[in-house]
Amino acid sequence: MAAQDTMTEGLSARSGGLSLRQRRTLLHALIFFTLIGLWEAGARLGLLDPLFYPRPTSILNSFYLIYIKNGNVWFNLYATMSLVIAGWIGGSILGVGLGALVGFNAVVRRFLKPYVIVLEATPRIAVAPLLIAALGFGASSKIAIIVLVCFFAPFINTLSGVVNVNEDKLELFRSLRATKMQVLRKLVLPDAIPVIMAGERLALTAALSGALVAEFIQRDQGMGALILVYTRNLNMASSFACIFTLTILGFLIFKGMEWVDHHIAYWKNEAGMKRIGDRRRRQFGAQVGE
Amino acid sequence: MSDFTSTTDTRFDSRLFRIVPHLILFALILVIWEAAVRLGFITSIIIPRPTAIMGAIAELYFVKGTIYHHFFITLTEAVVGFLIGASVAVSLAVCSALSDPFKRYVSPYAIVLNVTPGIALTPIIIAWFGYGMGSKIALAAVLCFFPIFVNTLTGLLQRDEDREELFRSVGASNAQIFRKLRVPAALPLLFAGMKIGLTTALIGAVVAEFSQATEGVGVLMSRFSFQLDMASSLATLLSMTLIGLILFYSMEFLDDRIVFWRRETRRAAASRAKARAWNARMGQ
Repeated sequence: MAAQDTMTEGLSARSGGLSLRQRRTLLHALIFFTLIGLWEAGARLGLLDPLFYPRPTSILNSFYLIYIKNGNVWFNLYATMSLVIAGWIGGSILGVGLGALVGFNAVVRRFLKPYVIVLEATPRIAVAPLLIAALGFGASSKIAIIVLVCFFAPFINTLSGVVNVNEDKLELFRSLRATKMQVLRKLVLPDAIPVIMAGERLALTAALSGALVAEFIQRDQGMGALILVYTRNLNMASSFACIFTLTILGFLIFKGMEWVDHHIAYWKNEAGMKRIGDRRRRQFGAQVGE
Repeated sequence: MSDFTSTTDTRFDSRLFRIVPHLILFALILVIWEAAVRLGFITSIIIPRPTAIMGAIAELYFVKGTIYHHFFITLTEAVVGFLIGASVAVSLAVCSALSDPFKRYVSPYAIVLNVTPGIALTPIIIAWFGYGMGSKIALAAVLCFFPIFVNTLTGLLQRDEDREELFRSVGASNAQIFRKLRVPAALPLLFAGMKIGLTTALIGAVVAEFSQATEGVGVLMSRFSFQLDMASSLATLLSMTLIGLILFYSMEFLDDRIVFWRRETRRAAASRAKARAWNARMGQ
């Protein structure tokens, strides 16, 4: 970081006060606003039909409408997100539990493999109408869809994390007479948890998609229903505002999971290792001091 | 020659032998399932009997043959969407790998596209592209873009410094290094991305069919579900699985043929493992 700073400082001396990073940010902004400007101009000059391709300014206006003036996005956002969280937790528990069960048991693994292959090839979101017919309209069928859509990634990742143990390390552990519990805690889990976390991240994204599909079919409440209704009314600007809301939500989910991953699997990053090392050093110092 | 046939015979025998417990288990599951529904432990509206599902499959495929039309519609939508999405993704990834500024100024938009749940675009894409096959193809293309883009780019950006130096030392041009070193090194990852992309393209086609369509497996599925004809609905779901398997294994076949050097290493690894097992057995 420090080296990069001195490098950019050296460059900034040549390029008239702007550092490399500042110049890049400026160029990014320039490209972005040129695109937006072209879009706006195209819509205003009648090259783009505003009925289907709304102007950026009218999308901004829709943001104002759905967030502040009408405020109807909050309720739907809450409805979708509570479903997503509930389904994701259910799917995670199911996926990780089943993955661990299958991963630790070679017989179960052998017999389950063909079913897993079949399940992997099925577009799992396609069971949505079936589940709605079986469980009825409402939250229960939506959550069932989300659970079904998002359990698979944690399942596969837990399975592969548990199965793909480093053979050499395992031999070392055995030669030191490690117990099964020790092998699990100190060898299998440290390697498996980052993989499982990656599965959880995929699952959360899939959960959001599953919730949207469920809402598209049920059309009662939530972001999916909102987008559908706005588009059917050809209120494209509001529909786009909803989609950009989901983009922001997706970004927050991505960053949030990255943060959680960073803290749970702390041994995979230097800052986490340093934190642990510092703590141990302090403890050791205190012990020696006594 | 006799030696060869004998080994293949034992292999066939062992494979046949290995498949028997699977079949027994499968039959057992079906029998328990059938019994549970017939004895009333499970409501047949929620989970139909296996025999009812088989009957529905027979009707869809052989008696009426309604499935074929819808099957090929969905297959076409998924494949055409995949081809469009994959070609855009691969060309953008190649441009990004070749030019640093291009990557810097294009990747934010790719990331925005990635964090947006692509399925949310379904109603808008239907409004843009109409009720026909166009909208399904478009959604399939949008959904399969990102996994292919990111895998191709990652593959092309991984540099093997030693090999590159070897290429330079024998006077290879940049174009040659790209064509003969970086592209082959990227192919395994590219195919991994293509396999994910095919699955997501199928999801896109089916979800778009749920929303608004007149033909396709997705339409058939939602129609049967809302008629509470669960057996036919599950039979349709199995046809979707079949489409998924066809797509996946054709990509696997291409992977095996095009990335043939990995097949060699895979085979070498398999034969090494067999030799080790053999040695262990002989040692005992």
